[in-house]
Amino acid sequence: MATLPSTRPRNRRLVSRNTVAGWSFILPNFVGFAVLTLLPVLVLFYVAFTNWNVFGAAEWTGTANFRRMWDDASFWTALRNTVYYTVFHIPLTLAASLGLALLLNRKLRGVRFFRTVAFFPYITSIVAIAVVWNQLFSPEYGPINALLGAVGVDNAPGWTTSSTWSMPAVIIVGTWRYMGYYMLLFLAGLQTIPAQLYEAAETDGATPWQRFVHVTLPGLRHTTFFVTVLLTIESFKVFDLILVMTGGGPGQSTLVLSQYIYQKSFEENQFGYASAVSIVLFAICFSITVIQFMVNKRRNS
Amino acid sequence: MTTTDLAAPAPAITVPGSGRPPSRRVASRGWRLVGYAALVLAAAGLLLPFYWMVVASLKTNSDVFTIPITWLPDPVVWRNYLDIWQRSDMTTWLGNTLLLSMVVTLLQVVTGSFAAYGFARVRFPGRNALFLAYVGTIAVPWQSYMIPQFILMSKLQLSNTLWSIVAIQAFGAFGVFLMKQFYETIPEELSESARVDGLSEFGIYRRIMLPLSRPALASLALLTFVTTWNDYLGPLIYLRSPELRTIQLGLNTFISQYNAEYALIMTGSVLSVLPVAVIFLLGQRYFIEGIATTGLKG
Amino acid sequence: MKRAILASVSAATALTLVLAGCGGEDEPADPNAPMTITLAGWSLSSTPEFKTLADGFKATHPNVTVELKEYAPGNDYDTQMITDLAAGTAPDVYVMKNLKNFYTYQSGGQLYDVSDATAGLDSVPALASYQVDGKTYAVPYRQDSWVLFYNKDLFAKAKVTPPDGSWTWDDYTDATKRLHTGLKGAGSNATGAYQHTFQSTVQGFALAQTPNADLLSGDFGYLKPYYERSLDLQAAGAQPTFGTAKTNKLTYQAQFGKQQSAMLLMGTWYVATLLNQRKSGEADTFQWGIAPAPQFDKSTTGTSATPVTFGDPTGLGINPKISKSKVAAAKAFLQYAGGPDAAKALAGIGITPAQVTDAVTATLFGLDGVPQDDLSKFAYATHTVKPENPVSKHTAGLQNLLNETHSAILSDSKSVDAELSEAQTRAKNEILNQ
Repeated sequence: MATLPSTRPRNRRLVSRNTVAGWSFILPNFVGFAVLTLLPVLVLFYVAFTNWNVFGAAEWTGTANFRRMWDDASFWTALRNTVYYTVFHIPLTLAASLGLALLLNRKLRGVRFFRTVAFFPYITSIVAIAVVWNQLFSPEYGPINALLGAVGVDNAPGWTTSSTWSMPAVIIVGTWRYMGYYMLLFLAGLQTIPAQLYEAAETDGATPWQRFVHVTLPGLRHTTFFVTVLLTIESFKVFDLILVMTGGGPGQSTLVLSQYIYQKSFEENQFGYASAVSIVLFAICFSITVIQFMVNKRRNS
Repeated sequence: MTTTDLAAPAPAITVPGSGRPPSRRVASRGWRLVGYAALVLAAAGLLLPFYWMVVASLKTNSDVFTIPITWLPDPVVWRNYLDIWQRSDMTTWLGNTLLLSMVVTLLQVVTGSFAAYGFARVRFPGRNALFLAYVGTIAVPWQSYMIPQFILMSKLQLSNTLWSIVAIQAFGAFGVFLMKQFYETIPEELSESARVDGLSEFGIYRRIMLPLSRPALASLALLTFVTTWNDYLGPLIYLRSPELRTIQLGLNTFISQYNAEYALIMTGSVLSVLPVAVIFLLGQRYFIEGIATTGLKG
Repeated sequence: MKRAILASVSAATALTLVLAGCGGEDEPADPNAPMTITLAGWSLSSTPEFKTLADGFKATHPNVTVELKEYAPGNDYDTQMITDLAAGTAPDVYVMKNLKNFYTYQSGGQLYDVSDATAGLDSVPALASYQVDGKTYAVPYRQDSWVLFYNKDLFAKAKVTPPDGSWTWDDYTDATKRLHTGLKGAGSNATGAYQHTFQSTVQGFALAQTPNADLLSGDFGYLKPYYERSLDLQAAGAQPTFGTAKTNKLTYQAQFGKQQSAMLLMGTWYVATLLNQRKSGEADTFQWGIAPAPQFDKSTTGTSATPVTFGDPTGLGINPKISKSKVAAAKAFLQYAGGPDAAKALAGIGITPAQVTDAVTATLFGLDGVPQDDLSKFAYATHTVKPENPVSKHTAGLQNLLNETHSAILSDSKSVDAELSEAQTRAKNEILNQ
């Protein structure tokens, strides 16, 4: 916008007028954001280079925390587990939530009830979720393994009691929990696709699949981008679900970075080191987000 | 579930009653049945833990954990729903949480959508960098900067007040990001022609953007409401006085107090979910049917 | 514009920092003037010990009111306390639930030197745990120890001889298996024992009882026989597996209280819980008893010897940010809490105080529902208690690591040796070198 040919002074006036307008829109939110979020985050960046123990002064230790991390096997385990979770959680949740949204964006009897149902996992108390899913997964008494046994699986997995299967179990529950949340965003996105586009496609004789590829997906571009970015960050930061499901175990099989940060800071009082791990987690999320932004920009233009 | 088999129902969002040939009606009835079957199956899977929660809340305490699971309460104990009000401060917890959720939602929707317009439609120097800073903070785990934030809030005399929760939740980057993405789907020409008509930026926001973004505003409101409602770590860090407890904090103290009384704990959990479920059930027409009636003339 | 905002933000921050710097001035104190000191506690309505201490202190110091501040229960207590101490909003006196976090608070300068408040408390065994470089930083008011709870009715049903104080771990393992068979034969579903998911149910005993075992050495070989016995009992079906306990969220209160298991190794705090749950109907009414924890070898068994067990004290410390006029009152409160009067008051509500005297044992065993046999009294009163968490810089880190090892060993097919050697490598490379 504002690409009309104009002389320099007019252009400058436009820029300054826009700056004032832009900032006046942003300001009410920005004041709260800057003081309550940005400022503490900046402090965090400082703390990452110290040996702060939460009480009293912090001593500047340079890159010592980061050098320690390099040799810390637990950090690498936590990073590996986080990536493991993310790599499966993102595509599964994306597919499930988009599928749900398409399924529920229709005029069906009772569809409102079903939409609410789809949202239930997200609002159900996390304690109840942990209790029920752990019981469902119980290798000896749980219905899941009973079902697997009935269809002829002899060596049914140990799920949350086995270090091989606990992460898949957590991924399943994670997807189950969050798909309603992202479904909601997709539903909102679907409302912006003009019905005329579908009608036009139908007149042209497009198959349902073609309509999905050529109308729905492009129409959802902005929503999909937003969902992917959020989902990426949410997956990398996964914390409470794992804490109540497995507590990171058995052993370190489901230990993730957020939990490692909590452990190092609040349980072992190494806030400096924990902050450094946070910075790494932040850097990973942020660089992926920036890449997503760039890809998105290129696709838009 | 893959997107492939679910793609078919998509065209059903076309305006109903747009005359179709009868042969397609039959096919569509077939699809409808398949759709229903899929829905019922999915609903069962989604509701299972909630169902367990309700059933557990109607059991005697010793029946909650049995090996294997019993899926029906026998006998049905309705008493739990009376007991919990006497044995806990449920009314206070619900009241606090409702108040917090509403105030936070209101502030987040208003300031978030306002700021999002600035980011989406006004071009000024430093805009993109600032927006990246917003999104970047979402990527920082809260538990790693909550101590500096807590110290700051204590200096502002806000800790151990409900205001602290309002302050940390209401100005989040989430709403700004969500609304910005949404505004960008609205055709630029709309605001351009309004600008030609002499409408100010605020006027464009107020008259054009707001009415068109109802679905996004509604989903932002809903998600903010639920997030605030379910937040545990925030109230845990900031609130101390028992009379300020939120539902999640209250439930947790309740659990430790009656550690083995899972039936009662589940009763509390069911009660904590119900208000959100009702709000969702009632609120969704704003973002599903909102646009369908106004119509988007792109 | 942006610069203006940044400037005003930093100005506001500076202002608040200046404002916070003011205040906290102390006026000269009259020792008899009425005053209030604040004390942190958790779950106040179901944890009466804090009120007992506050009321008992008020009786001897009428001018001092101890005001209770409620904190979150469980591990969240420490999370909230750390944040409050960091921001300077913590109460005057606070509790350290166990020794794991004592180092954190002490080395962080969050504990007032209370050496001169320990007069008359020399015989309290746990006091030494709170001493650093000759100074005392906290006073214990509770000292739980781990004992063996057993269900006399189930022993009779299974026709197994109940414990007599002579058990080593092999005797215990043997009895658990016989109970399992006997109970099955009598048509009962109850298991021989229940081992809760806490790491201390294995590691606490191993560390306390094994000669020369040292957590800080980073050599965890002493854990091996203890884990092998647990795995043996799990495999025999004589106790619920770790996986079942985890996935089905078994609680030790229900396992023992509802007669699902005939034996339970647990801390003495469970006495008060069991009594309360019997009263409320959450636990069945049955004949029960307390026996000393099984021992490493015969040298510490029998009622003429002193059995070795473990348990952390619970201590009170003073926040250094307390106003100067209140220090004397707070110290007097600590002295009271660690002393004999408080001990009797605590025993009256089923709590095991820091010093178990004959009067304490008499009070506790005078409560309704407590077993009256001599072995129970012996087990309750006589033992050497070693700390679960020996105080050091590395304790919290090592315990977190060993907690992971605990779940790995009890749920996995990997051998005990492999898991322990991995734990040793990690301890050396990640914790002890810091």
